[in-house]
Amino acid sequence: MKRDIAQQLEGYQDVLQLVQAAETLGEDFSSERGAVAAYLNRLHPARLSLRVSHIQMETPSTKTFRMVPVDGVLPPFQAGQYVALQVEVNGIRTNRPLSIASSPSQTGYYDLTVKRVPGGLVSNYLLDTIQVGDHLASSAPDGSFVYNPLLHGRRLVFIAGGSGITPFMSMIREVSDRGLDRHITLVYGNRSEDDIIYHDELTVMAARLANLTYVPVVEQPGPAYTGEKGFMTGALIEKAAGNLNGAMVYLCGPSGMYDFCLAELQARGVTARRIRREMFGPPVNVSRSPGWPAGIEEDDHFTVSIVDGPTISARAGTPLLNTFEEAGLAPPSQCRSGECSMCRVRVMKGRVFQPAGVPLRQSDHRLGYVHGCVSYPVEDLEILMEARR
Amino acid sequence: METYDAVIIGAGNAGLTAGAALAQGGAKVVVLERHTIPGGCATSFCRGRFEFEVALHQLSGIGTPEKPGPLRMVLDQLGVMEHLTFMPMSDLYHVMIPGKLDILLEPDRARTTATLKHHFPDEAEGIDAFFDLVYRVFGEVIGAFYFKDPDVHRDKYPLYFQYGLKPLQAVLDDHFRDPLLKTALTPYWTYMGLPPSQLSFIDMAAMLFAYIEFLPFHLQGGSQALSTALADRIVQCGGRIRYNCPVARILVENGRVTGVATAEGETIRARQVVSNASKIATYVDMLAPDQVPAAVWGELKRTSISPSAFTLYLGLDQPPEALGISSSTNFILGHTDADMAYARMKDRDIDHRDGMMMTCYTLIDPTFSPPGTSQVALITLKFGDAWLQVPPAQYAAEKYRVADAMLQQAEQVFPGLRTHIEEMEIATPITHMRYLGTPRGAIYGFEKHIKDSPVFLPNQMHIEGLFLAGGWVGGNGFQPTLESGFKTGQAVLRRLEMHQ
Ligand SMILES: Cc1cc2nc3c(=O)[nH]c(=O)nc-3n(C[C@H](O)[C@H](O)[C@H](O)COP(=O)(O)OP(=O)(O)OC[C@H]3O[C@@H](n4cnc5c(N)ncnc54)[C@H](O)[C@@H]3O)c2cc1C
Ligand SMILES: Cc1cc2nc3c(=O)[nH]c(=O)nc-3n(C[C@H](O)[C@H](O)[C@H](O)COP(=O)(O)OP(=O)(O)OC[C@H]3O[C@@H](n4cnc5c(N)ncnc54)[C@H](O)[C@@H]3O)c2cc1C
Ligand code: FES
Repeated sequence: MKRDIAQQLEGYQDVLQLVQAAETLGEDFSSERGAVAAYLNRLHPARLSLRVSHIQMETPSTKTFRMVPVDGVLPPFQAGQYVALQVEVNGIRTNRPLSIASSPSQTGYYDLTVKRVPGGLVSNYLLDTIQVGDHLASSAPDGSFVYNPLLHGRRLVFIAGGSGITPFMSMIREVSDRGLDRHITLVYGNRSEDDIIYHDELTVMAARLANLTYVPVVEQPGPAYTGEKGFMTGALIEKAAGNLNGAMVYLCGPSGMYDFCLAELQARGVTARRIRREMFGPPVNVSRSPGWPAGIEEDDHFTVSIVDGPTISARAGTPLLNTFEEAGLAPPSQCRSGECSMCRVRVMKGRVFQPAGVPLRQSDHRLGYVHGCVSYPVEDLEILMEARR
Repeated sequence: METYDAVIIGAGNAGLTAGAALAQGGAKVVVLERHTIPGGCATSFCRGRFEFEVALHQLSGIGTPEKPGPLRMVLDQLGVMEHLTFMPMSDLYHVMIPGKLDILLEPDRARTTATLKHHFPDEAEGIDAFFDLVYRVFGEVIGAFYFKDPDVHRDKYPLYFQYGLKPLQAVLDDHFRDPLLKTALTPYWTYMGLPPSQLSFIDMAAMLFAYIEFLPFHLQGGSQALSTALADRIVQCGGRIRYNCPVARILVENGRVTGVATAEGETIRARQVVSNASKIATYVDMLAPDQVPAAVWGELKRTSISPSAFTLYLGLDQPPEALGISSSTNFILGHTDADMAYARMKDRDIDHRDGMMMTCYTLIDPTFSPPGTSQVALITLKFGDAWLQVPPAQYAAEKYRVADAMLQQAEQVFPGLRTHIEEMEIATPITHMRYLGTPRGAIYGFEKHIKDSPVFLPNQMHIEGLFLAGGWVGGNGFQPTLESGFKTGQAVLRRLEMHQ
């Protein structure tokens, strides 16, 4: 606006005085240089540098890696959160989310417990190669599979399968360390007795804590086994935890376990509001998911052309994100479960399969944006990748 | 090395409209965004079976096809209107002080004044006079500035010259006696972040005029749908967007911009750079102190940082009717003292002295949540400073403590709300700082004191080729920032043509 107009406004001189006063007395924002980044770095650093300080053999197929900071301190986390551990295996740069198993009250290290997945790229690498003293990078802790003190109440039922015990271990250890007034029933399913992770620690804690009940369930036990057998049915859960009405039920484990247990819980009238489930990675055999197109095998291959990038061949049964990583063009990623949106890419042509229940924004759906970590090619594709690592 | 006509830092509202205007105008443009999704504030996130709207409560400036508002015209020109479904909201707002005040206003001048007169019959005259003034003042503003009258003077626009610098409170006091009536008319002060004693009357007149005449709107898919449509437009017109690509520095040679450097160390050349990042980040973080002209330090020093917000995003397992929620936009206040409410914004805590807004999105459009559920946001303004004092290890516990306090206030009006929460996410000033990158998590840029209105603080270019667009260099909110980017994009296009 022209200055002469401004000067004619009623009260102009008074306001001008305020301007002049502020120019003398106001805050000097040059001190803000770097302030936002420095503060966020304490709470949500972009990257953590970690060193393996100790390795514990848990079961024949599982080890715990104790990770300490290379420099500085570890950011705080809430029990149930994960970090995405970054690795390079066979020239492939990738990452895997791993729930922190140690208690949040333990500020000196994060324990990461890794179970071998037959044929799995990263779990085998970690279990077979990583030694004490090795350095690894990770994301900061993230995830919303956590206890909400405003909503979840005091009676908690944890249903774990296999390596899905890890977030619960952090929660249970926190309740134990801090003497929290929460009553926990842990129902923990495994294939065999040998697969049960943390069995001794859980048995000791359950004996010591009046507010922890521990019920291992073994699908195919040996002859000497005396505990609960078979699947984690609703009846078994109710037997362990009592009436499920009013309890908060948490689930973490393989996709097959969810399908089975969710139906069992719903049949007992447990509402969506009383169920929390961790997204624990892509389905094990995606072609068995409901809605998988008939006539397409997981081993079928399709051509994926990346806009302004190479054309690659993609296996139907492998998440697109993994295929991109193998081709050396990884978008950023973190949860590898469709939740964090980091690996968002746009399907310009062709069709992908996305398992039911994977969250997607309405507008992303309209324009063909998908989360590569939970999308499978079922036709030739053209992909726009607008974010690179 | 990549070379462009223009680089845009940030894909917030202003960055997106600037990018779309440029791409559509034929410029070679790239938008660099830190996050993996466009929108800045104008975004959404998913939890469980809900998609939560982050920022948009009531969109101004859309209007109807018959009587289009200024924002509709901008979105039309950018070619995104046809891809979006806008829905007018039937309520202006519902304002409540439990036990004292309970008024629902509609976006219609006659009905709004009638409702107010019904509740405050003794003040009927003042009510008419106030709305008359709002409309006439704003009519002058439109004539003088929107239509760019080359000859603005006192005789032609007497009310503007009289009221242009008046605080809202003075005008309220001239017209009304009952503090409840003053409160009922002004809950929108929270859309600007300054109480009536400090807010300009013109700013409130603009909001009342805009929301009543052009109606408040929302859109299907929420503000993310708008951001995504604008981003798509940029790509369709041959522009580029790069996500996960924070800009670290703006490059300046011999006093003019030559490009930017990303945090990864990549150099991108362009002689025109538009920054949609905060004015502080732009000048203080992305430039070296000796590159910044003295005038900028003066401008920064005279301003103050706006509040951030504390927000609860709630996915409820019941439809709105079952929860007693009947209007989409609700202001739940504890009292009539806006100055006290403003002072409370410096405190982390929430109690009866804080006002809050509750938006029920499902009532605007049922697609905002799955059948049989509701999406609700509770929001109150809070300065970031007090949150920066929380030690990181206590941050999560503090979030829950304050969220609990906020729910207690909301439950005074909607008892039992908490027993229906299926999904809940808490956003603090620190959350806004993390996702927007603004100092202290500010959501409204600099405070819009009268002394900082464009009359005294125009958006000037201080470094050749460096444009700023968005909430830190003009009006805040969706409409102003979307328009700001569009205008900036056009200004850059004019320069590009000049250079050719
Ligand atoms: C939030 C989150 C937290 C996690 N926390 C832990 C943890 O604490 N400890 C841990 O061991 N794992 C954890 N996981 C799983 C982990 O991220 C990897 O998926 C797992 O280690 C397998 O990786 P891989 O590279 O060895 O297998 P990949 O090469 O990725 O997969 C090979 C094959 O195995 C299948 N597969 C992938 N994951 C599993 C699985 N978990 N069980 C069975 N089959 C699988 C795949 O579908 C594929 O067919 C977590 C996952 C998520 C999403
Ligand atoms: C909770 C909340 C509620 C609100 N409610 C309303 C409402 O109801 N009505 C209304 O009209 N307005 C509302 N607003 C205000 C409105 O959302 C904002 O004024 C507007 O969206 C700001 O747009 P912008 O373009 O200025 O910037 P922003 O949205 O802040 O966008 C800036 C972008 O720049 C990016 N960026 C920053 N630094 C860098 C860098 N170095 N490199 C790359 N990218 C960078 C950021 O990631 C971001 O995407 C609300 C805001 C919030 C947060
Ligand atoms: S990595 Fe999180 S959504 Fe794909």
